[in-house]
Amino acid sequence: MPLSYKNIQPLIVSGRKTSKWLGYFGLGIGVLLLFISIQMFVNIDYLLQENNPRKSGGYDFISISKTITNENMGRDNSFTNSDLANLKAEPDIAGVAPLISNKFRVRATAGDIIPFSTDLFLESIDDNFIDTVPPTFTWQPGQMVVPIIFSSDFLEMYNVFAPAQGLPQLSAKTISSVNIILECSGPYGSQNFKGNIVALSDRINSLLVPQTFMNWSNLHFMEDTTVHASRVYIKTKDANDPKLISFLDSQNYHLNKDKVKFSRIKSILQNIVSALGVFGILVIVLALMLFSFYLQLMIAKSKDNLRLLLTLGYSPQWLAKSVARTWIPVYLSIIIVALLVTEVFQLLFMQLSFVSAANLSYYPAWSVWLTALLLFGLTIFMNFKQVRKELDNIL
Amino acid sequence: MQIQLREVTPDHIEKEKRNASQIWGKDLSINNGEHLHIVAPSGSGKTSLMHFIYGLRKDYSGSIFYDNTDIKKLSTESFSSFRQHKISIIFQDLRLFENQTVTENIEIKRILNPYHPEEKISEMARRLGIENKLKQIAKTCSYGEQQRIAIIRALMQPFDFLLLDEPYSHLDEVNRKKAMDLIYEECEKRGAAMVFADLKPLDFLKGEKVVYL
Repeated sequence: MPLSYKNIQPLIVSGRKTSKWLGYFGLGIGVLLLFISIQMFVNIDYLLQENNPRKSGGYDFISISKTITNENMGRDNSFTNSDLANLKAEPDIAGVAPLISNKFRVRATAGDIIPFSTDLFLESIDDNFIDTVPPTFTWQPGQMVVPIIFSSDFLEMYNVFAPAQGLPQLSAKTISSVNIILECSGPYGSQNFKGNIVALSDRINSLLVPQTFMNWSNLHFMEDTTVHASRVYIKTKDANDPKLISFLDSQNYHLNKDKVKFSRIKSILQNIVSALGVFGILVIVLALMLFSFYLQLMIAKSKDNLRLLLTLGYSPQWLAKSVARTWIPVYLSIIIVALLVTEVFQLLFMQLSFVSAANLSYYPAWSVWLTALLLFGLTIFMNFKQVRKELDNIL
Repeated sequence: MQIQLREVTPDHIEKEKRNASQIWGKDLSINNGEHLHIVAPSGSGKTSLMHFIYGLRKDYSGSIFYDNTDIKKLSTESFSSFRQHKISIIFQDLRLFENQTVTENIEIKRILNPYHPEEKISEMARRLGIENKLKQIAKTCSYGEQQRIAIIRALMQPFDFLLLDEPYSHLDEVNRKKAMDLIYEECEKRGAAMVFADLKPLDFLKGEKVVYL
């Protein structure tokens, strides 16, 4: 009969069964809470980031304008160069781009298909601030076709009122095939261009043209190159940073609150889930402490037998390993059951209407697996260390 | 293997006892195959000496060497290795697992580093007259029977040294003889040394070096 824990098992007196089962139960609940909160954290991050056009490369892009009050209305409320320099100097702001608008008159007609004609405004901004920039979004003097990036909010708005006006509704795809004639005119000349919608932007509510076109036409039709930006886009790590918000407030800048509401919700949700995770960790720690007391009691009760085993030549290392190893199946089962429940939870979560469309994974996130692995290693290691310590104490 | 005692003196011993002793404060070495018979009255430190040599206690001055290693410097792991391979003991207080059966008590030592097959347990038990006790719980056996269990347990492993601390105190002449024969046989098989401590010189011991503690 080879040497195994079975031989010495009858010599190890176990502690109270209730505290053992209570420990298992507590550990199971704690591990489950931790796994589910990690999974939910990942889910929320994925779901809310996917739908968030402001966010890209870890940055928020938000538009600010000067607050119009009774005192300052009627005055020039555009951003001056020093305003822009001040914004750039702010450490929380990673980049600043003014929206430059046309000073000449623009009239748009949609040709014969859509009997539509209106005065328009055009704006341009640094390409790096636009969420969707196709390679065709360029313009050179002499080019008759002007690429336009159209706000998807505007398209939605258009589709709301179009039927009442007897105009056809347009899909995101068909809008690119609509021919728009841009009639640009000013004191120094006039010219017609063909406008072509090359992309829709979720981020910027405007009709965007390439900066080269805006500069050329402002100069060509108005002979005016001064920058008048009533809106400025800023690039920041966190649009919800209280420091940034108080800075903007102090400057009397108005922030589009709707745009940051989304990430506020996300941050609140993630905080709740994190709190749940912390609670899970707390429960795990308590359960492990309960185990630790159980183990101490077990070793104290078996002290005489263990001492005799050591006297007879049993190695403390082997004893510690063998005793600690008996918990492996327990820990493993708890973690596997918690993983399975997390999987079921994820499958149920995927059934929710707002989730089903998203491309979420059916399986727990890698961070859950990694946590499971770390937790398993940690518990076994801690057990071994504790048994070893207790054995050294009785020697 | 060789065991050397260099000026070993227990921390709490009267000066007169120390001076009169042939062991305390003296140098002594025991080699493989030697038989050392330590004779001393009660309370003179036989058990302490056995525990010092076996590494259970360190409350002494001087040094004890296993070959060239001072055992005060040995780790618990190294001690367990020595106790599995090199040195075996029969304690005066026997130290059995009281609630285990006789067989379990012997087997727990045998499986640690088997020198004999399992069948050898019943063979030795037969020789020492406790064959019918093998399935009995140890604490229900008489002290004399328990002494024989401890003897068989000590003989289950390989060893270079066998320490015996008054192993026959509760055995009658016949059983003492039987046990002694078995121990001699087992030591001879291994070419092992025997350190035998008792209250008085035993007439049936052969060829021993007798020292007075």
